[in-house]
Amino acid sequence: MTTLSRSWGNMTTLGKVVVPLLLLVLVGGPILTIAVGLWVGPWLLGVLSSNMGIVRFVVAITGVLLFSIPAAFIIIYMELKVIAQMNLRVGPDRVGPAGAAHSVVAGLKVLTKEDFTPKSADVIVFTWAPVIVFLTAVMTFLVIPFGPGFIDPVTGERVGGLVGQDMNIGLLYMFAVGGMTVVGLLLAGWSSFNKYSLLGGLRSAAQVVSYEIPLTLSVVGLILLAGTMSLQGIANQQEGWFTNWFVFRQPLGALIFFIAATAEANRTPFDLTEADSEIVAGFATEYSGMRFGFLFFAEYVNVFIVSALITTLFFGAWNAPIDINAILALVGLTPPVIALDPGSLGIGLLVLIGLAPVVLTALFALPFYLAKSSRPAWKALLIGFVLFNLFAMGILTLLAYIGWGWFAGLIWFFIKSFAFVFVFVWMRGTFPRVRIDHLMGFAWKWLLPAALLNLFLTATAIVVVKSL
Amino acid sequence: MDRSLRTRLDARFGAQLTGPIRQRHDETEIRLGAGDLIEVMTVLHDDPDWEFVVLADLAGVDTGEQMQVVYHLWSARTPDWLRVVADGLPREDPRIPSLTGLWPGAEWMERETYDMFGIIFEGNRDLRRIYMPPDYTSFPLRKDFYLPDDAARSPGGGVRHVERSHVPVQATERVVRRTVKA
Amino acid sequence: MTEQSNHRPHLSSDDPRIMLDGEIGQFENVPPYPPRTEREAEFYTLADGEMFLNMGPQHPSTHGVLRVVLKINGEQVVDLDPVLGYLHRGVEKLCENSDYHHIISQVDPLEYVSSLFMEWAPVMAFEKLLDVQVPRRAEYIRVLTGELLRVSSHALYQGWMALDLGGLAPILYSFIERDEIVEMLAAITGQRMLFNYFRIGGVNGDLNHEFMSRLGDWMSRALKMHETNIALLNENEIFVRRMRGIGKVDKDTALRMAVTGPNLRAAGVPFDVRRAHPYSVYPELEFDIPVRGANGGGDSLDRYLLRLDEVRESIRIIDQCLHNMPDGPVMARLPRLLRPRPGRAWAAVEAPRGLYGTYAISDGTDQPFRMKIHDPSFVNMQLVGMLMKGNLIADTMAVMASIDPVMGGIDK
Repeated sequence: MTTLSRSWGNMTTLGKVVVPLLLLVLVGGPILTIAVGLWVGPWLLGVLSSNMGIVRFVVAITGVLLFSIPAAFIIIYMELKVIAQMNLRVGPDRVGPAGAAHSVVAGLKVLTKEDFTPKSADVIVFTWAPVIVFLTAVMTFLVIPFGPGFIDPVTGERVGGLVGQDMNIGLLYMFAVGGMTVVGLLLAGWSSFNKYSLLGGLRSAAQVVSYEIPLTLSVVGLILLAGTMSLQGIANQQEGWFTNWFVFRQPLGALIFFIAATAEANRTPFDLTEADSEIVAGFATEYSGMRFGFLFFAEYVNVFIVSALITTLFFGAWNAPIDINAILALVGLTPPVIALDPGSLGIGLLVLIGLAPVVLTALFALPFYLAKSSRPAWKALLIGFVLFNLFAMGILTLLAYIGWGWFAGLIWFFIKSFAFVFVFVWMRGTFPRVRIDHLMGFAWKWLLPAALLNLFLTATAIVVVKSL
Repeated sequence: MDRSLRTRLDARFGAQLTGPIRQRHDETEIRLGAGDLIEVMTVLHDDPDWEFVVLADLAGVDTGEQMQVVYHLWSARTPDWLRVVADGLPREDPRIPSLTGLWPGAEWMERETYDMFGIIFEGNRDLRRIYMPPDYTSFPLRKDFYLPDDAARSPGGGVRHVERSHVPVQATERVVRRTVKA
Repeated sequence: MTEQSNHRPHLSSDDPRIMLDGEIGQFENVPPYPPRTEREAEFYTLADGEMFLNMGPQHPSTHGVLRVVLKINGEQVVDLDPVLGYLHRGVEKLCENSDYHHIISQVDPLEYVSSLFMEWAPVMAFEKLLDVQVPRRAEYIRVLTGELLRVSSHALYQGWMALDLGGLAPILYSFIERDEIVEMLAAITGQRMLFNYFRIGGVNGDLNHEFMSRLGDWMSRALKMHETNIALLNENEIFVRRMRGIGKVDKDTALRMAVTGPNLRAAGVPFDVRRAHPYSVYPELEFDIPVRGANGGGDSLDRYLLRLDEVRESIRIIDQCLHNMPDGPVMARLPRLLRPRPGRAWAAVEAPRGLYGTYAISDGTDQPFRMKIHDPSFVNMQLVGMLMKGNLIADTMAVMASIDPVMGGIDK
């Protein structure tokens, strides 16, 4: 009581007003929310359910924005660590466990830096250019299929799925929106009032525009084969064994797409726009603080998008490489349906939830306790607890994988996407940079004819097969 | 020490040499005036008997009384280095023809000599300062350009007072203007 | 003392005293004063469509503080003017005020990457002035440590080359090699970088057990590591394509530009001071002089490959030194206070970048009267301006890196 009275005495007048109000809000807030919710709840639900489309859209956008930043963080960390290992270094290892929090802290650092606009820069354009770059990168998340939908019993086809918005021109949307990045890059380079930035912006504009053509042409063959531009549709068609994946039907297209996508994402060996040994940071030279953060994150989001796109188009998106159903059918089994009703356990459920952690922790701790006599019991129990957590998570993941198709799809999607991210990072650690004229020559003289050739061969093959 | 080189040089350039040919260890030294330099150098470079194709060094020297420009050349035909000293350049207005006609690579070496000594190389397309800022007005390696602790001598000859570097030169009596016999 | 220059007010954007408040929006001519020489006039007048790009003294890949003013037309470099002097320390003037012994530590930071060579030529020149005979063991140790440092310098060159072209991994492999060699040398000299090891009349200390064991370790894997490092880059198509055909120098041009060292040998001229004018114990050692680009001239790729060949030859020399090392003192007996007779001496060695020479004039006192340092990188830098005409900006870095300049030596 004396502590309280002493603290009250030490407070300023403002404090004496704000703190009671705060307490009121802390206590009254939840009560008020529940009350209001109960009162307007049904009406709100009614409104939402009748406008499911908009609600879904808003949820998708929020999810996309919220997902892109952690994805960027993970990729940045991966890049730092993987390239370090390739360079026989260690990489970040101080900030979190094995440096895992490094990119988060880097993101925070970028927020706290001085937000500086060069005196003679075009302020409006200077401010909006990174926003454009970031937005166009993130907007492309909307059409990427993260997981499969459920099978419609009537038509027998898959419907829906973990997609933001399954447009039937999804691929076109992706290229259209992704192509707007060049606008942002050019604006960034021009508005900085700096010759290096201008050079960087022009180089990047030339590069991105040149490589868009082989990029889009290389997937036209795929569109012909798949018959749809919807990404979820393309993913649906790769169901089953991994031989269904489009990479085996369009190998040349996949290769061209991979190379052109590297150039689109401004990654090594095509990273002249940020060639830090020639033009310092290219178009981003004059940026600092969060604006630079936008440009920086946009690049890594782009890397993820491009990997996701390659996975979706050519490597089966969310499909597992082996067809479990087919294998089980061979043996004669049907896939297990986890139709567990927890309510049926009754009191047994509570017992299970309460007893299982304790028993399993003790079980896992026992070998560690017995093995080393000097180890105190609490340490062994701690190890046991950690192991129990891992075990429980493993069991739950397994159950979710078997039970929910979309969960399995999500896991496979992420495995494949991050495998390609790893390939991009690997390329960065290995290759030197190409020169601008080599780059342009390669796009126009090699990739473009190759893409056209691919298209020609695909179309011919389709016509021949159809006529047989 | 290549005696035959000495006789050959004497025979060919005897008229233009302004001093005796000296030889020490593996170097042969000839002295010329600034006017004869280009002629002699052209012969040394182009003539297949001499074939001094490698210009190893171009140095300026301020002997205290006059300025010199010293060139070191190498030829495959003799085991010695050839040192060509163009001396007699007056300290007030040292001018010498430039060697960039024969060796374009001498351009920067002459720029450096100009920067440090003030020797004007006539014919050098780009005679501007190379190390010092472009509007610098002194020539640092001249003997009348004193470093603040020039007044101090080494322990062998006196006492080193590095901490007296803030004292203006006029206040120090022990400054000795160094000269060397040509 | 020096007369203070009267500062003319000028609108150069490089001048830190000027605040560009009103005159923003125009890119001023660089330099702002009227051009004083022909070349300046030629360079600093812009034709239609050209602009100046300043690769300033602070730049991630200009081998030190070097400012390069490029005149570009789009991506193509029309002309190039390096501006030196940012690292000028007045070494020659300082040498005139130092003892003969002190000069050895003053001269180290020129070409800090290969500092033993920087000590070698002055020490040789002073030994000529003093008529000192260096004991044979000291000569062998000098050659041994020198060749080790040459290997280290060329390994570092490989890393820089890749770094300037964008590859981030090879420089770390180069630093592994350099680290091993530098640790070896630290065992005898006590220093990892500016060794201060050679003395007038010999070297500072004999080889010791740690050095020999590290050297033995290193020698057993030297060639294999060299092969690995080569394999990292030579097969890479991007790397080769960016170097082939860029910066071609032919024999005659190279000789006329007074270029020496690997740049000269890559242009087809078999000139190496170790064979052309042998010094130390090189006449007794067996090694070849690799030459590339004998017909037509050498490009950047030839310069790169030549240095790799030289590493192999250096390893051969080290091997022979180890086998033929005589016993004896490592330092001639000399008085502490050195006062050579008045005279002049010139000595040159083959540094990893070219012919490094010292011209010393003694006036009979214990400080040299004049000490001229001829640095190979200084002369080699003139090639950059010549080779860059018509190439792209990205090639500036590639060409400069292939010439292997070290700013400490260029700026003295």
